[in-house]
Amino acid sequence: MTFPVIIAILIGSVGGVIIGAVPGIGPAIAIAILLPATVFLDDLISLVLLLGVYGSSMYGGAIPAILINTPGTPVNALTTYDGYAMTRRGEASRALSLAYSSSFLGGVFSILAALIALFVFGPYLRDLGALFGQRDIMTAAILGAVLLIAAHRQTMGIAAMLFGFGFLIAMIGRQSTRGIDRFTFDIEYLYSGFNLIVVIVGIFALSQALNLMVGKDDDPPQARITGGLFTGFRELFGKKTVALCSATYGTVMGIIPGVGEFVAQFFSYSTARALSKEPTRFGHGSAEGLIASETSNNAVPAAAMIPLLALGVPGEALTAMMMVVFFDAGIKPGPDVFENNPDFLFSLFMALLIINVLVLATLLVSSKYIAKMIYIPNRFLGAFIMILSFVGVYSIRNSLTDCIFAIIFGYIGYVLRRLDWPLVPIVLGLVLGSIILEKLTAGAGQIKSAIDLINRPVSGTLFVVILFVIGFIILTSVRNRRRDYQN
Amino acid sequence: MIENQNTKSDFALFEDELPFEKDGTFKSECRPDKKVKLEDLFKFSRTRGDLQVSIVAAAIAVFFLIFFWSQTGWEKRVLPDGLGSYFAHQLGFIELDGRVSRLGRILKQSWVAPLLCLLVLVPAALMNLWASFKEHKWRKRFLLPTSAYFEMTKYAAALEFVFYFVSYTLLVPYLGYLLSTVLLGLFLPWRLGYRSRTWMIRSLCSSLAIVIIFRSFLQIKTPVSIWLYDQLPSAFRGFMLTYF
Repeated sequence: MTFPVIIAILIGSVGGVIIGAVPGIGPAIAIAILLPATVFLDDLISLVLLLGVYGSSMYGGAIPAILINTPGTPVNALTTYDGYAMTRRGEASRALSLAYSSSFLGGVFSILAALIALFVFGPYLRDLGALFGQRDIMTAAILGAVLLIAAHRQTMGIAAMLFGFGFLIAMIGRQSTRGIDRFTFDIEYLYSGFNLIVVIVGIFALSQALNLMVGKDDDPPQARITGGLFTGFRELFGKKTVALCSATYGTVMGIIPGVGEFVAQFFSYSTARALSKEPTRFGHGSAEGLIASETSNNAVPAAAMIPLLALGVPGEALTAMMMVVFFDAGIKPGPDVFENNPDFLFSLFMALLIINVLVLATLLVSSKYIAKMIYIPNRFLGAFIMILSFVGVYSIRNSLTDCIFAIIFGYIGYVLRRLDWPLVPIVLGLVLGSIILEKLTAGAGQIKSAIDLINRPVSGTLFVVILFVIGFIILTSVRNRRRDYQN
Repeated sequence: MIENQNTKSDFALFEDELPFEKDGTFKSECRPDKKVKLEDLFKFSRTRGDLQVSIVAAAIAVFFLIFFWSQTGWEKRVLPDGLGSYFAHQLGFIELDGRVSRLGRILKQSWVAPLLCLLVLVPAALMNLWASFKEHKWRKRFLLPTSAYFEMTKYAAALEFVFYFVSYTLLVPYLGYLLSTVLLGLFLPWRLGYRSRTWMIRSLCSSLAIVIIFRSFLQIKTPVSIWLYDQLPSAFRGFMLTYF
């Protein structure tokens, strides 16, 4: 590990915490802006820099959630439920301390689980590459899409539509094998298709910049943290059942593509409430509630790396962005990575472990200062997110047309944000759509009939899982409709 | 609880009133409207403007469906006339020489992936439009507000900033990255109401920091203002050309 790499980890980790602490930015926007800049950095440095932001932002997101009832990142929403109630009770330091220690436990738990899995299953995983052909990866990508849509419980129709739009964007351009233009309408720019980063910056960063600038500045109450931040560790040890349960939920849900933090939190919070001796306190400043939400959400990022690395299929927007970073670093996520780059996997999770330790140390000594970031006005932030987005997009291929298209995507994203429609399906439609397209063409030579698509062990199994998920969605929808009708 | 009351100095936000009952029983002081509930994580309700955007989304989906035939290579193949025969050949059930085709050959056609995509997109967009329409009707029935005027004004308000961004993009090749960024970095906060000297200085410093990080430190090649730098002394000109 060289000095620049250590500095990159440090900047990434501390920067991630600050980004997480500022309501309105969040890791997706920060990574979207930084993504193009990494082209100009050394592969390893850019990788650890963005990994730092990825692994640490949720720690920072707990600070405004606890102090001013505004989640720094969307996944900290549940933290406000008990964290802010504790603050109102005069226990801000206790709440912050519990949040840090729980997040640390969640993060370390999932990293250790991944490392143990690598050691125990490592020899078998190396043979995984041979099991996964083009059709298997294509089926895995389809499963990822189905899970993604299923995870948007109340907005499944919208998620499916936006996934379709993302898929459509992936398709625009000249088909490489046959040279046929698809949906280019003879516009020269469209021949090469849309760059993934242009879409990501537009949909996440520019849309949020517009959203912030059109909106109003919040007027958060002045918060002051006094007292020690170490008490939470002892308290966490006293509630280890809830903590371990939540960490397990976070890890398992993180592994399932498309599920993520919200479902993990939902399950862990519900379980913690069921296990608690004081369930009525949940939502009114319960330490167990805070532990459940923070442990589970921070266990997800490391676990979400597993399907990305094993199958090459990202489960949510952040892992999709990390996939781009891996590609830039010359690592192609997928089953072959276990055979070709086992050291990379070990280093990746070790880096995440170091990031967790660094972040915890930073938070314990500098929470008071980081908390001041909450007060940067939203509209001012929006202006500079817009300026930063320009350089991010322009640097990809020095194209001003890219910048114009980025703002078009930004405007679309802004409208969707106002309607509360999910943005992630567009980006995952683009990423998974590209994978499906590539594998469909590459694997076509071995397909004689429809049964050849699913007659391999992996693709067959995944196909059964897809059918199961679709069946589950239909059953749940029918049941919900019947219940609504009865009510 | 009593112990908590003693640690009042722990957090000085609500010194006026600490949220405890005098008898020590627990009480939450979260304002009901400020409270995040567990079910809120998955809550979704269609707002005003949803119907209008759903119509646009469905129109876009149908637009791509209409252009599917001409924009995906579907029409490029010369095939026999007759509806049944045409589709049988196009979908690859039969080759032009009469043989039964392999599915793989069909999957390689350029129109297969767009077809799969439209099979997801078009029904989903129409279903969403239907759901949105039903919600709209429901709101009307219960005399709830349905006018999308407010949302439309918000969409229009964002166009102002889109205009600034496009102008900035068009200005960068002429004024150079440094000058354009400083100008936008001062103008946008000013436009947003941060007009005091302190905010202007903060804006200037932030703009310069962005240029220094991306242009000087990361060496990202952005357009430079040659005519401006030509006015500078030669030694300084070289420095500015390299780093700004």
